[in-house]
Amino acid sequence: MTIRHHASDESLLRYAAGQLPAGPARVLAVHLATCPCCRERLAAFEAVGGALLEATAPAPMAPDAFAAALRAIDREEAARAPATPAPTHLEARARPRAPVTLPGGIPLPAPLQDCEIGPWRWIGLGVRASTVRLPEDPEARLTLLRVGPGRKLPEHGHVGTEFTQVISGSFSDGFGRYGPGDLSEMDQEIEHQPIVDREGDCYCLAALEGSMRLNGFFGRLVQPFVRL
Amino acid sequence: MTRLMKDDGVPDGDELARLIGQVATERDRQAYARLYSYFAPRLNAFLRRSGLPPNTAEEIAQEVMLSVWRKASYFDPARAGAATWIFTIARNLRIDHLRRLRTASAGEEEPVEVETAPSGETLLLTAEREARVREALKTLSDEQATVLRLSFFSEKAHSEIARELGLPLGTVKSRVRLALGRLRVLLEGHT
Ligand SMILES: [Zn+2]
Repeated sequence: MTIRHHASDESLLRYAAGQLPAGPARVLAVHLATCPCCRERLAAFEAVGGALLEATAPAPMAPDAFAAALRAIDREEAARAPATPAPTHLEARARPRAPVTLPGGIPLPAPLQDCEIGPWRWIGLGVRASTVRLPEDPEARLTLLRVGPGRKLPEHGHVGTEFTQVISGSFSDGFGRYGPGDLSEMDQEIEHQPIVDREGDCYCLAALEGSMRLNGFFGRLVQPFVRL
Repeated sequence: MTRLMKDDGVPDGDELARLIGQVATERDRQAYARLYSYFAPRLNAFLRRSGLPPNTAEEIAQEVMLSVWRKASYFDPARAGAATWIFTIARNLRIDHLRRLRTASAGEEEPVEVETAPSGETLLLTAEREARVREALKTLSDEQATVLRLSFFSEKAHSEIARELGLPLGTVKSRVRLALGRLRVLLEGHT
């Protein structure tokens, strides 16, 4: 897959710094999983974090902190003997369950496999939505959208940045065409109306930093359900 | 070849990586003590700067250092330098801490990390990257460095940072772009 729309510097920097809210961070994680180019940029921004850490003027720890660390280590080693290697966080996270798929057999991206995918709700005019719950932050607002061919997403503007990662299918808006693997980051105060291309359904993952205002009658109708 | 910051008694990147290796393979407590005395106070200060109260910052700095002991064998110099690896541990533990505060259910989950397969030449590239990032940071103007730091130490979006600095959003964005642009030129200079 050729990726044409990438994460912005600002978002990758905030992701690297651990400052991006959970919802947008997951959308970025899905993009990063498919995009070596953004992974490389992320590595550079994380190296900025390493350099800033080393450049920070030290603040002394409590005088007995190191002794306390050694005691903690002794306790752990005693409890663990004979030593079994700790599972990596990736192994620890792997759930013994079948991979979740979206309707139509489209695999759910790996970075979403530990999420709870809510039921699909019809929200009108060829648009269905499903709420994605993150184990680490149940309040985070993350939505899977399934939009029929040629259908419009509700016209909207927003107060924060909207992150939309295409999982399958494609849509276009005034800013270009977005296919599988592409990430659209729409800044605040931009009004845009994505239209799904004619070839088929478009599945995308959307998160919003801040709040959205949907325009017009349809928007007001949909707003309570979309929880974008 | 690549010289990372080398001051009196301050271990450079290669030395730090070697110490982590000794902790991994020999459970070497002397190596660990050196890592601890170098990183713990820096983590403490770094976490305070990112907005944690002093007690919490110190607790998390301690947790990070315990993770360094536990996870030393997962340190892969082909993927990141020592300080960068420890920075990402601190970042993740800080996120976990903030989420535990927000949500009643204490999740053990760590943020999603992307696995990349290191190739033969990534080891060299990683060392280069770390060195080039440091070089680039030194060349930033004060204004560029400030917005870069704000991006790291505050959870605010650039629009909010702009409001706080009393600057137009475009100015903040262009400073970040220039700062990162300089990074990118240096990073891509070797390919
Ligand atoms: Zn990308």
